[in-house]
Amino acid sequence: MTFSWTRIGRLARKELRETLRDRRTIITLVLMPLLVYPLLSMALNRFLLSSGSAPAEGYVVGVADPIQRMALEQLLADPRSRPPEPILNSSGGVLAQFRVVDTGGVSPVDVLIDNGLDLAAELSMGDGGVESIRLTAYKDDQASQSARRILVERLHWFRLAILEQVLARSNELTITVADVGSVQSSSLLGSIIPLVLVLMTITGAVYPAIDLTAGERERGTMEALMASPIPRTWLLWAKYIAVVAVAMLTALANLLAMFVTLQFSGLLALMTQGQQTIGLLATMQILGLLLVFSGFFAALLLSLTSFAKSFKEAQAYLIPVMLLSLAPAMLSLMPGVTLAGPLAVMPLINIVLLARDILNGTAQLAPAVIALASTTVYAGATLAMAARLFGNDAVTRTSDESIVSLLKRPDEATPQPSVVTAVMVVAILVPVTFLATNGLMTWMRASGAEVSIAVRLIANALVLMATFGMLPLLATWIGRHRGWTTYRLQGASMGAFVGAAVMSLGGWAWAHEAILVADQLGIALLSEDQIERTRSVLEQWKQVSPLLLLVTMAAAPAIIEELFFRGFLFSSLRPKMSGVRVVVTTSLLFGAFHVVVGSTLLIERFLPTTLLGLVLGWVALRSGSVWPGMLMHFLHNGMLEMVARYHEQFQFLAEGYDDQSHLPATWLLGATVMLGMGGLIVSVSTRSGQRVKPMSDLPTT
Amino acid sequence: MLIIERLHKSFLADGQTVRAVEDVSFQVHPGEVFGLLGPNGAGKTTTMRIVLGLLMPDSGHTEVAGVRTQNDPASAKSRLGFVSATDGVYPWLTVREMLLYFGDLYGMAAPDAQSSLQRLADIMDIGPLLDRRAGALSTGQRQRVTLVRGLIHDPPVMLLDEPTRGLDVVGVRTIFRYIEQLRELNKAVVVCTHRLDEAQRLCDRFGLLHQGKMQYHGTLEDLQAITGREHLVDMFVDLIESSKVEQPNGMPLAPRGTA
Repeated sequence: MTFSWTRIGRLARKELRETLRDRRTIITLVLMPLLVYPLLSMALNRFLLSSGSAPAEGYVVGVADPIQRMALEQLLADPRSRPPEPILNSSGGVLAQFRVVDTGGVSPVDVLIDNGLDLAAELSMGDGGVESIRLTAYKDDQASQSARRILVERLHWFRLAILEQVLARSNELTITVADVGSVQSSSLLGSIIPLVLVLMTITGAVYPAIDLTAGERERGTMEALMASPIPRTWLLWAKYIAVVAVAMLTALANLLAMFVTLQFSGLLALMTQGQQTIGLLATMQILGLLLVFSGFFAALLLSLTSFAKSFKEAQAYLIPVMLLSLAPAMLSLMPGVTLAGPLAVMPLINIVLLARDILNGTAQLAPAVIALASTTVYAGATLAMAARLFGNDAVTRTSDESIVSLLKRPDEATPQPSVVTAVMVVAILVPVTFLATNGLMTWMRASGAEVSIAVRLIANALVLMATFGMLPLLATWIGRHRGWTTYRLQGASMGAFVGAAVMSLGGWAWAHEAILVADQLGIALLSEDQIERTRSVLEQWKQVSPLLLLVTMAAAPAIIEELFFRGFLFSSLRPKMSGVRVVVTTSLLFGAFHVVVGSTLLIERFLPTTLLGLVLGWVALRSGSVWPGMLMHFLHNGMLEMVARYHEQFQFLAEGYDDQSHLPATWLLGATVMLGMGGLIVSVSTRSGQRVKPMSDLPTT
Repeated sequence: MLIIERLHKSFLADGQTVRAVEDVSFQVHPGEVFGLLGPNGAGKTTTMRIVLGLLMPDSGHTEVAGVRTQNDPASAKSRLGFVSATDGVYPWLTVREMLLYFGDLYGMAAPDAQSSLQRLADIMDIGPLLDRRAGALSTGQRQRVTLVRGLIHDPPVMLLDEPTRGLDVVGVRTIFRYIEQLRELNKAVVVCTHRLDEAQRLCDRFGLLHQGKMQYHGTLEDLQAITGREHLVDMFVDLIESSKVEQPNGMPLAPRGTA
């Protein structure tokens, strides 16, 4: 059976039919938003009204008898109890109204407790009028508390006015108010909507995810599915598409219901403080965000439900996940939490924060790219995990499969890791390298000049070893893959080494050109600041021994990165892909991983690194070994570094050559010739190497 | 036809090796119904799963209409029909949608699947049900739909796993008629069951599995000659009784294969 998207589409259509015709899906899809939002808006309305401005008819203050009532009304009517104009204006400009009622002998506090009043007042009257006032409010009742606060303030103004009259002040204190700074971004709308949307998307995905996996088992259709010749991953793809589709439908239905409710209840204006409405672009961005998010969450749900044997079991797995995802989602409600640093790679929370920033119009490109890219990678990894688990239970007789079985070392060694393993290693590497480089940068910045450049270089190399070195190694050990074939350690012909070395002589010139091209295309803006920083780094390099520079910045990356990208990744993808695809995939990853350094995106590095990756990948493919590429990588880095370190000594070679312009045409020509020659040597030497084999294998008959 | 050759399979359960299938071999020819018999846990399902390519045997192989399952599981699967008593339906799809979906799973082109469905609907008398929701069918109707599902891609070999479990008299009669039809369609049929009385009426040849080993193997006359018993049930009681008395080398094996 050949793979085709139309077939996957047909399979997905069946899954969608099945789940969309189901009553339970319709409930989460239609009924929930229809019910939840009006209810939510009613509660919110109540909350906003009671916490915000005074009720239209005024706060109700109760007193025990008519004398007290008259006294209090007089006090309130007295212009001296009015706050000064600027102060009144700063709190809305409208004087809160109070309605004083006589409780007819009943203690006003009791009436307050029975919710008949906003505030209870007890005035004790003396000869000269009111002697003292005791104000009782209801604890935790916003309206009651505001009423008391406002009344106390007015009484203070009253006392102050009397004092002023008595003292006859010479110099009057004038109070004016003003606002500074921009509008504090965290409008209620921006904080709540992403949270609700994310939670609703999750809710929408849960039911179909369970139904299409554990449900198959419960209905007794799983065995028949497994007995059919269709690959399991195709089935999973179809189910995945269906779950994402339902999740998106739920999100859309919720978005619609939410806006209709907000519009009709008048809350929209209140929540956005009348200054901001959600534009079409922001809405589209939010929907795109939800697509990425539901892509991730659907994969997570499918991988969890894939080894549940029944609905009940699946629900038991999902409830903790739902609760766990609630906690970080809540974080977005807190002011001061920004999409930066480790939060940018935290699944779920990064999307909620990004949605908040989009709604508030404060989203930034770099963290957005990191958040979206990391979520996509997580989605791929969890889907790969789901593929490994889906249908397993119907296959193995002993059905004690669990998450743990993913980590169990197999009994037999395999020549290379599977694609699934490679995807998972990449997925783990994304947050790990991000956190590690971030931590390293923070540490360097904090420790400033105390840490010598030598220590920094060593720390850099160590981080590289701990991440790109150790993680794949661990995966190789756990999966019991043979190191020799996994890392492609077999030797290569002498010609491959010579060719790779010659190619490296030409490569650096083109790497330089690629940066310039990226700059001209506007992909990477080499800011003055960045160039300055690079200069200072180069200055510092002059202080360290060239040997240390070569070991940490040329040898370590060459060894570790080649072993990972052209070894581990290469061997895992090779059985499933054509050589060209493997080279392209690994070099794109190679480029992408070099972009993220700390929390800054060095986008200008993408093009040259990817190009270098393509060349290295081609050498690795032709030679069938990781070694020639490693040599080339080392020479390439080493030469760039040595030129940088000793560029003053090399100055004579490039008269009038300015750092930011293209290389002289003769140089580029020379570099191209070197590249071509090197490539030719590699090509010829590996071809003859291939030819030798079948010849020697010829039967002697 | 179906060839099963020297299958071995053991599992690790609670740190102990369980030999689920030990040296099992048999063949089934087109138009023949083979009864794979044995009590629960005898190794019937494991054997089926190896044939279906869902499990890899430790050693030995299976061959479905000329294709080794272990070499090309997808091709082997497409030559197999599989029906089990625990088979369910998709409650929210119509019968037609569900059957065509399975046609698609077996890589059939839409027109082929439709004509095959029409033909089988007539044979199994489910024509009026085709546009009903599968969840609304009665048990008997659901059973017939499942039987059609196993045949939709017209496989040369059919595996029936406990097809009569949990069925009433009418349901059992449907299965009997179905197996008769399979015989007429010249399919090689394996029926896994522990209902020995039914098997005796249905099958042409038998394999008696016990504790993962093929104990006897042949036509009813062969088995009667070997065991000196008339009915399969008695043969089995003997087997189980004697295995309770520990015998180091298991039961004396019958001469294998009259195939």
